[in-house]
Amino acid sequence: MPESLWLIIAAVLSLTGMTWLALAMHWDQVMPRPASRADAPRRTLRGFGTVMLAASAVASMLADRPSMAVLVWFMLLAASALTVALALAWRPALLRVLCPLRAH
Amino acid sequence: MFANFRQSMAWLHTWFGLVLGYVLMSCFFFGALSVFDREIDRWALPETRFAPQPMPSFDKVLAPAFARLEADPADYALNMPAMHDPAKGPQTPRLSLPADEYWAYTTHRDPVLAIGAGFRVPLAKDPDGHNHIHGNATIDPRSGAAVPSDQLKIGSQWFYPMHYSLNWQWRNMGIFIVGLAGLVMLAALVTGVIMHRKFFREFFTFRPAKQTQRSLLDLHNLTGVVALPFHFFFAFTGLLIFAGFYYFPVSQFQLKPLHDQHEIIEARETGLPHARAGIPAPLASVDAMMAEARRRWAARDMAGEVGFLQLQHMGDANGYVSIYRAGSDRVALVGEAIHFKASTGEVLREEPPRAPVPALNEFLAGLHLQHFEHWLLRWLYVLGGLLGCVCIATGFIFFVEKRKQQHARSGLQGARVVDALAVGCVTGMIIAAIGILVANRLLPAGLTDKGAWEQQIFWGLWALSFVHAALRGAPVAQARINPAWREQCWTIAALALAAVALNAITTGDHLLKTLFLDPYLAVAGVDLSLLVCAGLAIAAALKLARRERHPVAMGAADPVEVANA
Repeated sequence: MPESLWLIIAAVLSLTGMTWLALAMHWDQVMPRPASRADAPRRTLRGFGTVMLAASAVASMLADRPSMAVLVWFMLLAASALTVALALAWRPALLRVLCPLRAH
Repeated sequence: MFANFRQSMAWLHTWFGLVLGYVLMSCFFFGALSVFDREIDRWALPETRFAPQPMPSFDKVLAPAFARLEADPADYALNMPAMHDPAKGPQTPRLSLPADEYWAYTTHRDPVLAIGAGFRVPLAKDPDGHNHIHGNATIDPRSGAAVPSDQLKIGSQWFYPMHYSLNWQWRNMGIFIVGLAGLVMLAALVTGVIMHRKFFREFFTFRPAKQTQRSLLDLHNLTGVVALPFHFFFAFTGLLIFAGFYYFPVSQFQLKPLHDQHEIIEARETGLPHARAGIPAPLASVDAMMAEARRRWAARDMAGEVGFLQLQHMGDANGYVSIYRAGSDRVALVGEAIHFKASTGEVLREEPPRAPVPALNEFLAGLHLQHFEHWLLRWLYVLGGLLGCVCIATGFIFFVEKRKQQHARSGLQGARVVDALAVGCVTGMIIAAIGILVANRLLPAGLTDKGAWEQQIFWGLWALSFVHAALRGAPVAQARINPAWREQCWTIAALALAAVALNAITTGDHLLKTLFLDPYLAVAGVDLSLLVCAGLAIAAALKLARRERHPVAMGAADPVEVANA
């Protein structure tokens, strides 16, 4: 697979991972069900979010040599965390779209 | 002095950040622009808007171009009297100095080629020393023709040195101030992390609808935390790159004898002659050497282009040619050098793989200097640099917001002064940066010393923005917003739109052409970035106008944390 495709996959994985981590942490801002009654889905989101970030690192490694991939991965994490934080502030409903669980 | 550790860290973060934050702001901003310095060069020098070129043929293009190089008059006037020994005979005239060293350097983003020569001082006071008068030029590698030398490469010769030396060369003062600022940046990152009570819990937190101080602190923390590895490693590697030569120059002072001895031993071990033999010798085909270097790299499974070419001891039996591989596919800097005997073309030495410590050093320097070909990572670096700017700017504004009510009550001017400086360092810096591009398109191409005019306009606009901010700053002393923020945002928008329009009018390279009809992404990228900048500036100006009309309730959102910050 060409390098640029792996980079796009790495970016998408990193954005998805950050979104799920943010959903787990800021459940009340996005979801109608109170966070106190959503422990299980929040735990799941945190777990899968972490896995997604790790998968993003793997995809970066497949795109570039490891020394370059480390830099790309760290910067992708920064860009995705910023994107998610700004979405959470101004368009929180967008994050619900990316939630993989039927847990509203 | 302080009740607890966290408070003492807060004091350090606040006051060191305030004093050197102004410098750091320009490091981060012009550093972010430097990521695309070559592309900004293309925008500013329309005659160099053609595709990047590989290292040209030495025998056909470079040899005549080197032969045309002259010693730089300023370098000659400054250094010749210091190196020449009048007891041995009269000073050699500038144009008669014999060449000792030639070099040529290119990257995967360069249409034009930087070349240079080191001229030998024949009757030197210290014949064993490095007695070189330099002469540099930029040529079109397709023809060997010189690119006019009084034109300023705004990206690589103005924005790029701005970010590490503030373009203040006097006794390297700019470099030392930036080094101090880099050190303070590291301290500010550590103290910032210690002060931040909810590092993970507020990782994604930005609350724009809350009180100004709360939103500002959120944004300060967010931009600092998400790009923390970037901030840390760029401040650290920036210091590292300059440490050996400028900040701790032990090899030039305390340990100079050891350094000189090491050079001689190294020359003996590597077989690369340290000094001239004094016996004239011809130069074999350098093109054949470049072909052989490419063949050897390919045989090592790292096929690549020549990035840097250096000829030492020209015309002497000890002369040798060093050929370095362009580092476009890796983070570490150019390397894998292969050295040839100049008179015969035989290989003298092929550099072995690096030991771990030099390899780590090359990686750290390389991640900052970015010779690699990776457009996504370049843009991510721009984002990192701009996040650094937002982090520093919100730090300033938070400082002002936290104090201006109290200063207004007690009639102090501190908040007003800091606010005016912040305006000059944030919007004023952007005005200067875009202003020099507008000046570049407005000043006639044939103007003598056009580059000097552009530099004066850059400084002039920046100084004006400080004056404007100071004159308009009275409302801050009454705990309101300085209208200079809004007015300078409008100025940014106007200048950015003017720059895009002027580029289209004076060169014919409008966006339709550079994006679709005859794509040239370097120029299109600069134009598009200017348009985005104009859009953001207009949005900010409108928002500021709303805030000035309806000031939101001030007051600390979280008294404990805000008091500590």
